[in-house]
Amino acid sequence: MDLGLRLSVAAGVSLLPLPLLGLRLADLQVLRHGALVNRATNEFARVAEEAAPRADILDREGRVLARSVPTWSCFADRAMIKDIPKFSTQAAPALGLSVREVTLKVRGGGRFSWLRTGMTAEEVDALKQHRLEAVGIVPILQRIYPNGDLARGVIGFVGTEGKGLAGAELMLEKRLRGMPRKFELIRDGAGHSIFKNQSESGHTPDPIRLTLDRNIQYLAEEALRDAAKRHSFKSGFAAVQDPRTGDILAMAAWPPNALKNPLIQDAFEPGSTFKVVTALAALDNGLVRPDELFDGERGRWEISPGNFITDHEGEGPMTLAQVLEKSSNIGISKVVERVGAQRFYRMCRAFGFGAKTGITLPGETSGELKPLRELTKVGLASSSYGYNLQISAIQALGAYSAIANGGILWEPKLIHDGSAPLKVRRVAAEGPVRELALMLENVVERGTGVTAKIAGYRVAGKTGTAHKVDPLTHKYSATSYTSSFAGFLPASSPRWTIIVVLNDPKGAYYGGLTAAPVFAQIGKRLLVRDGIAPDRVLESGLTAAKR
Amino acid sequence: MIAMMDSRMGLGAGSAARFAGAGALVLFLSWQHVQATRFGYRVEATRRETAQRRGRVAALRVQIEQRLSPEQVAARAEKLGLIPASPDALRRLPERESSSGGGSLARLWARRLVPLVAATRS
Repeated sequence: MDLGLRLSVAAGVSLLPLPLLGLRLADLQVLRHGALVNRATNEFARVAEEAAPRADILDREGRVLARSVPTWSCFADRAMIKDIPKFSTQAAPALGLSVREVTLKVRGGGRFSWLRTGMTAEEVDALKQHRLEAVGIVPILQRIYPNGDLARGVIGFVGTEGKGLAGAELMLEKRLRGMPRKFELIRDGAGHSIFKNQSESGHTPDPIRLTLDRNIQYLAEEALRDAAKRHSFKSGFAAVQDPRTGDILAMAAWPPNALKNPLIQDAFEPGSTFKVVTALAALDNGLVRPDELFDGERGRWEISPGNFITDHEGEGPMTLAQVLEKSSNIGISKVVERVGAQRFYRMCRAFGFGAKTGITLPGETSGELKPLRELTKVGLASSSYGYNLQISAIQALGAYSAIANGGILWEPKLIHDGSAPLKVRRVAAEGPVRELALMLENVVERGTGVTAKIAGYRVAGKTGTAHKVDPLTHKYSATSYTSSFAGFLPASSPRWTIIVVLNDPKGAYYGGLTAAPVFAQIGKRLLVRDGIAPDRVLESGLTAAKR
Repeated sequence: MIAMMDSRMGLGAGSAARFAGAGALVLFLSWQHVQATRFGYRVEATRRETAQRRGRVAALRVQIEQRLSPEQVAARAEKLGLIPASPDALRRLPERESSSGGGSLARLWARRLVPLVAATRS
């Protein structure tokens, strides 16, 4: 055969697979290119996430109330354990557990079992040095509350997935939550990661500062705790507000409960602490003269046939100031008759009762204010001394702050962001409000609130004792009470408004005997804390002279 | 050397230079790749270490906050025998005349008031 022909045949035979190879190549390189690249990439490349910690929650001075801290959890992969007793013996000292504990954990459950959670970096380092097979370590961000249960009703808590479930943690979820950083990594043959690049920069949110003051919060909680020992009440709450700005400085509840904040979520019949609303309605409309007398009817008055109003002590004629000092239900009922339903209702609304305050916490109640048409003669009288309606403690606190600052109702502020306080409205003219504030000073000086007195300081406030409704009979109980005290100090230039509400105290139940001393305890500590000089100079001088 | 390659392989001087340049480029790219991988290892290790240290700092800060929490401070104070001060214990220190400011009337007022308040506790 001709050499040329033979070469051509050989070349033809050897080149015959070329078109097939070309087709295969086109299939791999063109048609399935994307899928194959992905497959190859997934073999050795991955995206890692670095969780952004949830933002800190701070108090008004920048002290930490809640912080996310990375902790580590370690687990065992049972499929990789050949000999459980041997593994347990090796792992136990490294994990700080007993051999039996490790064995139980590994034997129970499925393929993966948690050996330890909440490990510190030091513990993780120590564990790594033991080079245990079948043990994996994963980082987890844990939410820590360094002050324990302090202000837990306000702060709330987060669930296992790191989402806020109650309190500020829930309400501020969007502002607290960060975006994780993402990285592209490649793995080498030994499984070590090689950093490739950062695909998403993530976002770590700025801390959120609350208006709460950690120390004032503690003082309020401590005072409640002490009172619980004395009076064995079912529950109690106390709050402190700055009447100059509306800043909430403390919100304490006993017993502590991270799920609930009774100061804003619970409504109650306030009793006599509500008399200030009636009194201000009368003063603001010029309906009562300071020297005008209201007959106390010796403690029992038939307001309408078959309907009686009683006082705990029988009194004769009283001025409005004395009505408040003695906390006379009959006296204030006579005042409200003159005020009328419309003016009374308008004053209640002006103080913000019957509406939510707008505080940045979940589940706020608006309370219950009877509509104007339901304010009959008897209904109006009982409303004038704090029955027949329901309010929240935060509403009452705001109302007393308005009296303290000369008549301005602030929106209660919980986020300390440097913004100006938000004025809701002026409740009444300044003159009548100042007049009422002086009457409240007399309540503490010589009225039902003497136990709230602090030597050397001018204190203003009002006691309240309300019968509770028996849930079984739906009638007012003769043995169960809500005792309260609300007031402000130092009265010459108020810096703190404080409300104390005790639910069902045992033994002595009057607000003046139970809640007012709690007010005084908190007030004294605040005065010392801020080094406020006595504003009752004359009395200080007399005390000195006596000594 | 290029001339020698020229003579042996029958390449021109230009081609030889291009060949050498291409070789150098390949070597450089390989070196760069190796360096990138080496830095990748280092960056990843540093990133992990940073995260761990950041965690440690956060944990230590929490410990500080725990130690400074009012409850713990109160407990330590109680152990030391300290009790909460009452407002009666407050003392108003006399202000310096130079810093008191105001006119002679204000100074007179300050002189009259300060001993009175301070004396109440003596």
